Amino acid sequence: MAEKEALLAELARCVLEMEDEAVVDVAKSYVEAGFDAYEGITEGLAKGMEKAGQLYEEEEYFVPELLICSDAMYNGLEILKPHLKRDNSSKGCGVLIGVVEGDTHDIGKNLVKIMMETAGFDVHDLGRDVPVSEFVAQAKEMGSGIVCMSTLMTTTMGNMKKVIDGLVAEGIRDQFKVMVGGGPLSSAFAEKIGADAYTTNAAEAAKRARELVATA
Amino acid sequence: MQDQMTPMERAAALAKGLPVDRLPCNPNVANGVARIYGCKISELSRNAKTLADAQVASYRRFGYDSIRIFTDLFPWAEAMGATVKYPDDETADLDQPAITDVSQIDSLQPADPYKDGRLPLQLDAMKYLQDEVKGEIGCSCGIVGAFTNAFFLLGVNKTLSMIYKNPEAVHRLCQVSLETVKAYAAAAIDLGITPAISEPMSSCTVVSPKAFREFSLPYLKELVDFIKSKGKGVVVHICGQTNKIWEDVADLGIAGLSIDNVASLAECKKAVGHKVKILGNVDPAVVMFSGTPLDVRYNTLRCIRDGYDSPKGYMVMSGCSLPVDTPRENIQAMMDTVREVGYPVCPERVAELIEDCERRLKEK
Repeated sequence: MAEKEALLAELARCVLEMEDEAVVDVAKSYVEAGFDAYEGITEGLAKGMEKAGQLYEEEEYFVPELLICSDAMYNGLEILKPHLKRDNSSKGCGVLIGVVEGDTHDIGKNLVKIMMETAGFDVHDLGRDVPVSEFVAQAKEMGSGIVCMSTLMTTTMGNMKKVIDGLVAEGIRDQFKVMVGGGPLSSAFAEKIGADAYTTNAAEAAKRARELVATA
Repeated sequence: MQDQMTPMERAAALAKGLPVDRLPCNPNVANGVARIYGCKISELSRNAKTLADAQVASYRRFGYDSIRIFTDLFPWAEAMGATVKYPDDETADLDQPAITDVSQIDSLQPADPYKDGRLPLQLDAMKYLQDEVKGEIGCSCGIVGAFTNAFFLLGVNKTLSMIYKNPEAVHRLCQVSLETVKAYAAAAIDLGITPAISEPMSSCTVVSPKAFREFSLPYLKELVDFIKSKGKGVVVHICGQTNKIWEDVADLGIAGLSIDNVASLAECKKAVGHKVKILGNVDPAVVMFSGTPLDVRYNTLRCIRDGYDSPKGYMVMSGCSLPVDTPRENIQAMMDTVREVGYPVCPERVAELIEDCERRLKEK
């Protein structure tokens, strides 16, 4: 197990220290050794990205640094993703995911998407800066499932409530579980706007999504 | 309450240390002027007369101290080949950068302010503006710094990565950007207009102070020196946190430093108030856009408390351009508060007014 731990630490380090080329070989060694790709993401790449986010908050890192960290994370993901074992228990349940209008920060959303896919959901990615009306229209088309929204900015949090209000207005709120996430959010905020769940990271989001569907 | 002086009389008196009727104040209505005037925001980019008239209409309504031809961050990059999208009634946004690859940098040409993109339209708007309000209020135009403009030439994310991966390319982008913004500044100054620089990408919220000093500051200095050499003082606005670069910017010898609400006015005054006039920093979103007139009053008073005695002067301002749908009564509340406080500012009176606001806010 020491080798696995060492490789996970190295994946995290590559992301944190902007090694966007070296990460590829580390990720390859990791899958070639037969280690679990899912853990490689949650305990390796995502851990590194999380630490990079902390350094940004501490004003050690700035946007250019974060950007190269995320390049490194995506380069690692490219290698790990094909090796993810899909779990079929949630197959057939649709997930609508996007970053709400006014915001283009989509690293977190992209990680949640991968985890949701791994959990077996049929994920429909609306991308970033998604208008409220687009969320509602797509939900209407999908009929039922899960709506996942994220934002990193306080100024755009209000759009999440607008989407929920839109689902209510269309009379389809009960057909959906609504999940929200992102830097400035909290469970209190999620509760206030009438969302069903708030999670703090991608793995947690996929887990909660499964639970929500199981209890539905 | 009525003003006793025009903005120009007020500014001239303050500069000489003479008494005035109140502190200068700029709510920074920006494209919200379209709402006041009654036109679509996209019309501000299509018709020079409309752009000027909308600015004048909002100035006349509120009586603030700053009037500026500025619609968005992109006219200079657009004039160099970038494409901009114009939603009918929202602020324009960058669609495609001028180039897609570093190898194309040498194909970029500095823009001609009299020919390229919307630059001639903006220059025309400056003329109309002067026709209306010259002698009554100092007219300015917004301009972005060379560093910020560089991001719109190659695209924001690519340029950010280049800071690490190809620093020399960033410098080349900044150089050609600088030529464009200098030419535009010169054309505006020829019309009697004072350029004011926005450098949002220089924020410590975006790049490190080290990157700012290496990639932005040299070009900012050249632009500032150029404008000063033409006999104009220049205000610099940088969004986001800026505390670690205040000294650098103040040392450029500028006429004013405008700070965002995430930065501390009290600390800024302490750090560089003896070098430069400070402008700021009521929260444009939480207070001005989402708050009540009482919230605006409370926060304006707190800014006055923190800034009024700044040695080189202080102007009440929003921390950034107001959202276009900011309620008019909130803009009015900022002006009314500044008028009520009057001049010279009595700190005890301001403290009383703040306490009164706190009491009323608690009751709600």
